[in-house]
Amino acid sequence: MADLIQLLTNGLALGSVYALAAIGFVIVYSATGVVNFAAGQFVMLGTFAGVATLVNAGWPLPVGYAGALALMALFGLLFYAVVYLPLGRSPVVTIIIGTVAIGITLQNAALLTFGSWPFRLPSPVEGMMLEVAGAVIPVHAVAVVVATAVLIGLMWLLLNRTALGIAMRAVAQDAKTARLMGLRVNALLAFTWVLAAVLAGIAGLMLGPMWFADVNMGDPIALKAFAATIIGGFGSLPGAIAGGLFVGLAEVLGASYVSSAYKDLIAFGAMILFLLLRPQGVFGERIQDRG
Amino acid sequence: MRSVLVLSALILAGFALSFAVSEYTLRLLNMAVIAAVAVIGLNFAFGYAGLISLGHSAFVGLGAYGLAILTTKADWSPWLAAIPAVAGTGLAAAALGYPLLRLKGHYLALATLGLNVSFSIVASNWIELTGGTNGIAQIPGLTLAGYKLDGEQTFLWFGLAVLALLGLAALAIHASRLGRAMMAVRDDETAAAMTGIDVTGVSVTAFVLSAIYAAIAGCLFAAHVHFVSPDDFNYAHSITFLSMLIVGGEGSVAGAIVGAALLTFLPEWLRVLGEGYLAFFGLMMLAILVFLPTGIAGLLRRWRRPALPPQDTAAGLDGAVSR
Repeated sequence: MADLIQLLTNGLALGSVYALAAIGFVIVYSATGVVNFAAGQFVMLGTFAGVATLVNAGWPLPVGYAGALALMALFGLLFYAVVYLPLGRSPVVTIIIGTVAIGITLQNAALLTFGSWPFRLPSPVEGMMLEVAGAVIPVHAVAVVVATAVLIGLMWLLLNRTALGIAMRAVAQDAKTARLMGLRVNALLAFTWVLAAVLAGIAGLMLGPMWFADVNMGDPIALKAFAATIIGGFGSLPGAIAGGLFVGLAEVLGASYVSSAYKDLIAFGAMILFLLLRPQGVFGERIQDRG
Repeated sequence: MRSVLVLSALILAGFALSFAVSEYTLRLLNMAVIAAVAVIGLNFAFGYAGLISLGHSAFVGLGAYGLAILTTKADWSPWLAAIPAVAGTGLAAAALGYPLLRLKGHYLALATLGLNVSFSIVASNWIELTGGTNGIAQIPGLTLAGYKLDGEQTFLWFGLAVLALLGLAALAIHASRLGRAMMAVRDDETAAAMTGIDVTGVSVTAFVLSAIYAAIAGCLFAAHVHFVSPDDFNYAHSITFLSMLIVGGEGSVAGAIVGAALLTFLPEWLRVLGEGYLAFFGLMMLAILVFLPTGIAGLLRRWRRPALPPQDTAAGLDGAVSR
């Protein structure tokens, strides 16, 4: 029982990170139609933005977090200008290859800047433990789940209760009509990329204390985020959340109850099964859920 | 006819180079030839039939592991082992293709990507069969009429001969009823079905052909390097194969060869830039995609528009309009 509580908490925490990465991937796909294969590198950059401000520059925690997220926002804007604007109208294959190519650049730029030695990113609740029914769980894991829930709530408010969010959804549904209605489509698209980069940044900052910060961490995260997106339903925000949590739990529970070698096969097997039997995923692509 | 001439010119250029370059460049040329075989295969699936596959490397791996296991565990000759390795991969592709190819676009891309990742996980963990992450070493090389194909130069000659044969076969298929059916399915599935084309059958055939070429590339790889490990066939290689096809020019056999050669050599040429060369490589790829959306073959077609083969008219006209 104690083991199970521990595993469930860790699985949910890992799943939260995957869910945030998947949400970043989904809002970009919904708004711009871009299948962003560099999504994992976004999370990796988020972790390393934290390494730059918290470890290398030694800033105090709140300032360091704010600085890292500001860097990620800038990066989102840069990505919009350098990758999305020239490539956004290309066929899907060209976009896949293009975002992979830029992912290679990002990964190697990070390798040049930070080296191949892994970093340990501190957590605000470093070393604190919680005892629940005999199980010892790190406070960080609980904090990650709570922070993700709050963020998802804020995202819902943004997309459903603010003029900005409603305008973003209008662009996602029909950019041409949105433009005719006088919406500043390009600015809204740029904001979508910034939002995706910041969400990935938060995912990266939360993941840093759970894994070691390593420049090669991007690809495994991207693969899990893809699996989460397919399982939950391509283009659906609730789907990205459910899929992310499922993949995180499958990874942690699978490693301890099934086989640590084949733990990742559960998520990818589920992804392929979903593609074959229910390609629209659990939640399907409902227009009103697009961001 | 023109495509045959271009193919012959490329093969002859490779043959001529084999006398003029260093051992290291010969090794790269061998890698380029093996990649070219795989990319010509991928051209059936993506270039002709429009199926985005990010799992091509898994089929290369199936072929390579098939040969490696049969030669090292069962002591078969590599020639004999290649037959079940290639045929088995083709069968696997047929079995996977029927359910998977109902998917389109990025769904198919992600499904095949998941397949490739699953292949890597199995190859890394089924230790009794695949040797796990240590791989399989000491795979015997090829012997042809009592002559060992173990040097870089001799293997390159053999590789070029295989490439020439498979390239010619691909051109013949391209010009055949089957090839035209694949392109019809790519351009408009409904219209293709209306004219009596069996859309599923044609798609699966394209997928199986692509896997057979991939498996032959895998056998060449195993027999040349004498060693296979899961890392040689991870999904990053699948993306590389697709990049080679896009950079060379999709839908063209010569483009597949040129793309394979270019993307094999480009990272090596960029090494002079020092540690950050892969960062430049990514940026160059992005620039190629933005400025040469139809690849190198597409660029050449635009230069010599009068000599357009009929099936490329649409691409040529697009080029003319955008100029």
